[in-house]
Amino acid sequence: MFGSAKRLAALLAAGALLAAGCAEEQPAAGGQGGEAEAGPFKIGAVLDITGAGASLGVPERDTLTLLTEELNAQGGIDGRQVEMIIEDNASTEDGAARAATKLITEDQVDILLGASRTGPSLAMRPIAESTPIPMISLAANAAIVNGSQWVFKTAQNDSVVIENIVEDAASKGYKTLALARDASGFGEGVRELFDEIGGPKGVSVIAVESFAPDATDFTAQMVNVRNANADAVVIWGIPPAAGLAQKAYVQLGVGKPVYQSHGIGNQVFLDTAAEAADGLVAPLGRLVVADQLPEDDPQKKVITDFIAAYRGEYDAAPSTFAGHAYDGFQLAVDALRNAGTEPEAVRSYLEGIDDFVGVSGTFSMSPEDHSGLTADDLVLVTVAGGKFQLVP
Amino acid sequence: MSDFLQFVVAGLSAGAVYALVAMGFVAIFSVSGVINLAQGEFAAIAGLSALSFTDAGVPLPVAMLLALLVVAVVAVLMQRLAIAPVRRMTTLVSIILTLGVSTALKALLLLIYGPQGRGLAPLPGSDLVIGGVSVRAQELWILGITAVVAVAVAVFYDRTVLGKALRACAEQPVAARLVGISPKAAATVAFAVAGLLGAVAGVLASPIQLTQWDSGLLLGLKGFVAATLGGLVSIRGAVLGGLVLGVLESLTAGYVDSGYRDAVAFVLLIVVLVARPGGVFGRHAEARV
Repeated sequence: MFGSAKRLAALLAAGALLAAGCAEEQPAAGGQGGEAEAGPFKIGAVLDITGAGASLGVPERDTLTLLTEELNAQGGIDGRQVEMIIEDNASTEDGAARAATKLITEDQVDILLGASRTGPSLAMRPIAESTPIPMISLAANAAIVNGSQWVFKTAQNDSVVIENIVEDAASKGYKTLALARDASGFGEGVRELFDEIGGPKGVSVIAVESFAPDATDFTAQMVNVRNANADAVVIWGIPPAAGLAQKAYVQLGVGKPVYQSHGIGNQVFLDTAAEAADGLVAPLGRLVVADQLPEDDPQKKVITDFIAAYRGEYDAAPSTFAGHAYDGFQLAVDALRNAGTEPEAVRSYLEGIDDFVGVSGTFSMSPEDHSGLTADDLVLVTVAGGKFQLVP
Repeated sequence: MSDFLQFVVAGLSAGAVYALVAMGFVAIFSVSGVINLAQGEFAAIAGLSALSFTDAGVPLPVAMLLALLVVAVVAVLMQRLAIAPVRRMTTLVSIILTLGVSTALKALLLLIYGPQGRGLAPLPGSDLVIGGVSVRAQELWILGITAVVAVAVAVFYDRTVLGKALRACAEQPVAARLVGISPKAAATVAFAVAGLLGAVAGVLASPIQLTQWDSGLLLGLKGFVAATLGGLVSIRGAVLGGLVLGVLESLTAGYVDSGYRDAVAFVLLIVVLVARPGGVFGRHAEARV
């Protein structure tokens, strides 16, 4: 009597396990093949929401949440809803790798977005490639996509930023630059790019200082930059560090013209640097000077619509980083709509993206170019009275 | 030469903030043998709550004072709810316990204030350039207020009855009880003092270093190292330890490599613990042993 009851229980348990196993099989098969139309499209995003990259990751998270809600309210992609799963990597490389693995194996997402910064993006790249799964990074360094089959990105490459800076410096007759750069992935290789792009134009870097992305004291770096006595200074970092560096640069009386990178396109930079930001020059996406763009600018409509939607929801102006997330989302949705969820199909669709008007620029990808933006997608911007202004 | 002085000035102002945090460690440890790893969080709570007061339109000095009050209350609550109920408190237990409190406080700050860092408006005054050395007004405020606070704390322990009672608890706990000093009350006062010290550090550092939910972590560690330099029981040692640490960090960043800045504190900690576990500047180090 007792024995048979036990056996019954064991059988029941085994049955339940089997049933659970089958239930788990189904969505996996659907996600892979795309023939089963049930269930939502899944997009996984890994963002720098806490830690040094918070001023990038938070608006990116807000943008992705907003866009997903809007899309689903309009019926999703051809009637299928989109599920956005956002993970925080705490601005760390290992956090990004863990989050990416979790999204791929547990959530079985169809496409990966992120990370916000270069270092974490580089940590995700080998995972995306070995799975393989298409991934769209929101970060700057060209090393994220160079030679990659599966990784794309929406932030303008560091090389196109440097092209803009070098051209402006050469036209003003600056021959030597002192560089204070982010010590993490974002600043990696920047000096080499300056040498490569600046060399032929007679612009060279004569001093390099580095700072941690979460640094708060820049006395040492700026004193050494001051002593280098170059014709101009380049600060290469993200807010709030870039803003604090800008402040130290003014406080310590470096007194040379200063360039910043495209890493500063948000209100946090303007708030942190305050009046110290006046007069700097930075190549930035058109988003920050949307109100000053000519009516016939092809990006004007996309950008102003995005700003209106973002303002409506969060009562603040979106940053260029929010713009990178917008572009990543739109590219992913476009690819899922037209190519389905088969990874190879999504990948080759993204490589064929041509004249895709986004917030960060107009994307034209190819198998060799997974960034798709050029120097024309940036404009030279200065700061006056706490606002970004187009350089006339 | 002006470079050297510039590094020293930057180091002193950073070191003064460490000194304030370090005094908080000493205030609690010397009375109750508790190492309070949530000391850095006191600074973060102060900075963030001062920010919400100024957002609400409260004038800056009032907001700073209110923030001090908030943190003193938090510190006393922490003592009452997490420390006092433990029957056999050892230093090891206190480390584990306060680490837990620190983690919980950080999570709470993240929930309330979100992940982004912000800076309090600096105190009034204009920046100076003396002989090629630039000094920010806020740095002068930091140095001045730290000096006043340090003297006040020293006078409190040396001259007032309450301060002497606290010291009695530290040096002769049994005798202190026999003459009618309640160790419970003493521990509460010690936490309030430590909370105030951490809070002063938090509101002073915020305009320069920004404050976010996790900024207490590094500040707490640096403060702990500074306190250890003074043997964990000496207020003067803690102040000196903080200033020395700040200047060493700044000089390392300036002359060696800015990447090694945060390593200085921990190398220093190891050297001190191996060579002079009683502290480098601690005169009363023997009193506790």
